[in-house]
Amino acid sequence: MAVDQESFVHLSRPLAPNVLGFGVSNAPLTVNIQPQAVFSIIDHAVRRDDRDTQSTRVIGALVGVRSEDGSEVEVRSTFAIPHTENEDQVEVDVEYQKNMLALTLKANPRETLLGWYTTSHELNSFSALIQNFFASPETGTFPHPAVHLTIGTEAGATIDTKTYISAPVAVSPERAAESCLFIEVPHKLLFTDAERGALGSVAAAADAESRSAPVVSDIENLAQALETVSDLLERVSGFVGEVLDEERDGNHALGQYLMNALSLAPKVSNLAIENDFNNHIQDVLMVSYLANTIRTQIELSQRLATAKLDEGKEGGEKKDGEGAEGDKKTDGQRGQRGQGGKRGGRSGGAGGRGGREQREPREPREAAE
Amino acid sequence: MAEVQKDAPIKSVQVEALVVMKIVKHCSTSFPTVATGSIVGMDNNGAIEVTNSFQFPSVDVSSSDSHSDASSLAAAAPRAKANIVYQNEMIRHLKEVNVDANNVGWYTSATMGNFINMSFIENQYHYQKENEKTVALVHDVSRSSQGALSLRAFKLSPEFMTAYKEAKFTTESLRNSKLTYKDIFVELPVNVHNSHLLTSFLHQIPAPPKSAEIPMPASLDDIRRDPVQIPAHPGFESLDLSIDPFLEKTCDLLLDSIESHYTDLNNHQYYQRQLTREQFKITQWQAKRKAENAARLAAKQSPLPEDEWQRLFKLPQEPSRLEGMLNARQVDQYARQVDAFTANITAKMFAVRGNLLPE
Repeated sequence: MAVDQESFVHLSRPLAPNVLGFGVSNAPLTVNIQPQAVFSIIDHAVRRDDRDTQSTRVIGALVGVRSEDGSEVEVRSTFAIPHTENEDQVEVDVEYQKNMLALTLKANPRETLLGWYTTSHELNSFSALIQNFFASPETGTFPHPAVHLTIGTEAGATIDTKTYISAPVAVSPERAAESCLFIEVPHKLLFTDAERGALGSVAAAADAESRSAPVVSDIENLAQALETVSDLLERVSGFVGEVLDEERDGNHALGQYLMNALSLAPKVSNLAIENDFNNHIQDVLMVSYLANTIRTQIELSQRLATAKLDEGKEGGEKKDGEGAEGDKKTDGQRGQRGQGGKRGGRSGGAGGRGGREQREPREPREAAE
Repeated sequence: MAEVQKDAPIKSVQVEALVVMKIVKHCSTSFPTVATGSIVGMDNNGAIEVTNSFQFPSVDVSSSDSHSDASSLAAAAPRAKANIVYQNEMIRHLKEVNVDANNVGWYTSATMGNFINMSFIENQYHYQKENEKTVALVHDVSRSSQGALSLRAFKLSPEFMTAYKEAKFTTESLRNSKLTYKDIFVELPVNVHNSHLLTSFLHQIPAPPKSAEIPMPASLDDIRRDPVQIPAHPGFESLDLSIDPFLEKTCDLLLDSIESHYTDLNNHQYYQRQLTREQFKITQWQAKRKAENAARLAAKQSPLPEDEWQRLFKLPQEPSRLEGMLNARQVDQYARQVDAFTANITAKMFAVRGNLLPE
């Protein structure tokens, strides 16, 4: 699952002659960004300290994995780096970056530093300075290019992301440190199936007025999904109805698509369906019933475990317990037998277990008498 | 004001979307090994706001001794010494970039709700004894793969904390404190929360169509090439019909739990028999001593002391009831899970039947 652009023009970056020896490739580079990295950057942007710095942007490092040939990088996490910026100078806490990187890599030894991010689309000479820092052999990603991710967080504008790599370029040697050529590279937002569920509940919160939503149970989730599906079906049938009433022009492709979808319904006789349905539903209900029986048994067992050897008030309590136990015993036996039948291999063990379980509460009573 | 906040009990847990994503990512990448990490945030009038998280360093299994596997090491990570140092260091660094620098607990991953064990209790106790307002977030990887996020928050109940502190889990103490397996944990409702910026970002993925009137596709291939972007919420994974494997797995786990329940019962029965035997011996000894003393008295000799049995016989130690309680809680959890699954399955099955057999 990916949200990406459709096509992209790859520009090969010019390489400085002195790095050629290291086998630096100028092959196309693709950047995959995981949603948690973006979320992390956005969180950082929200938490920026705008008291003692004039800049509105924040910077941080990108951490993740790089494919073997270096043509694809995956940004897995980020961390923020404190920095100050004003008209004529920029300060990045290098020490902090080093420590934090070490801490992050300790938790994920397989990940490496990939580059850096900032929260404005502006590329200026400070950007170049920081970019050169991240791309340098001592402190950065050399010989691989450092990735620079910008994400627009200005109010009123859309939040879009751009990724760049750089090539050294300068008008004169003394200005080399603060200039470089940024080349945009394609990127996509990548999320796995495991994250879909999480993204679902996050998206549910995004639709709510209060920006928060409870984590719902499975059954509520099912209800919501069913409602949405039924809405969608309603829309489709509305569309088909309009075409039939000649209020709207039909579309061959859509018609074909719908026909294909409809023909997916299996051809099974009604009797077979009814039969299968009844069988399955009985199994399911049986499992549910057994689970509840087990729960009651455990509850009972726990109660009896603590409510014994108490001579004074035992009489009354025990009577209750006994009555309940009598009921449960028949349940239990029936349950265990049912289970035995269903799960052949387990029947012996389950039966024995059931027997013991009922014997246990009896024992203390014998001891007490 | 501070005093008021201090005493307010925790009522709910509010988790930032960032933390949800981080936890889900970490847990699913390390699945089936247990993943653990620390969460930071703050307490806001009885609601814990979890605003960031980080994982504990992973342990290289090959380098450590072969007896302990990665899961048990990861499960023990929150209370390991090295990780406490790591955690403090990390929080110190996070503080510099304006992240809420208070530890509010830890998170762990689980499979089909199998997280209730001694390790979980020890971890949570480790946190909760220092700070009352800490929670354990449990992310169930297997259940989340069905489509709905499963993230739950737990803390230990105050009664359980007291009992655990004194390490008293004998039958008598349990009866006195009226502590049952249902009172071990307090589950707190979890809310997912987004920042404003994130909300607007989320409304852009998947991007809404540019115009209200969508151009009609020219052929089937057009539809296939450009599939409809389904919004993340509500997810349609929960409509998947193959839920039986989950049910089966839960039943298996349930049976395993019953097995250990049975073992626990056996242990206790053994103790009971041992106790009866010892007590019988003591009574015998006392009767013998009495008879002896009566004989000595008759012979005008000084009687022998009658409480020597305390030295001679040793009553067996009662096994801790905690293990059994945890197990009971686990069974309870599985049973409820089965219940929830069957509710789902039944609904889906009736839907399928209604679809295939129109009335």
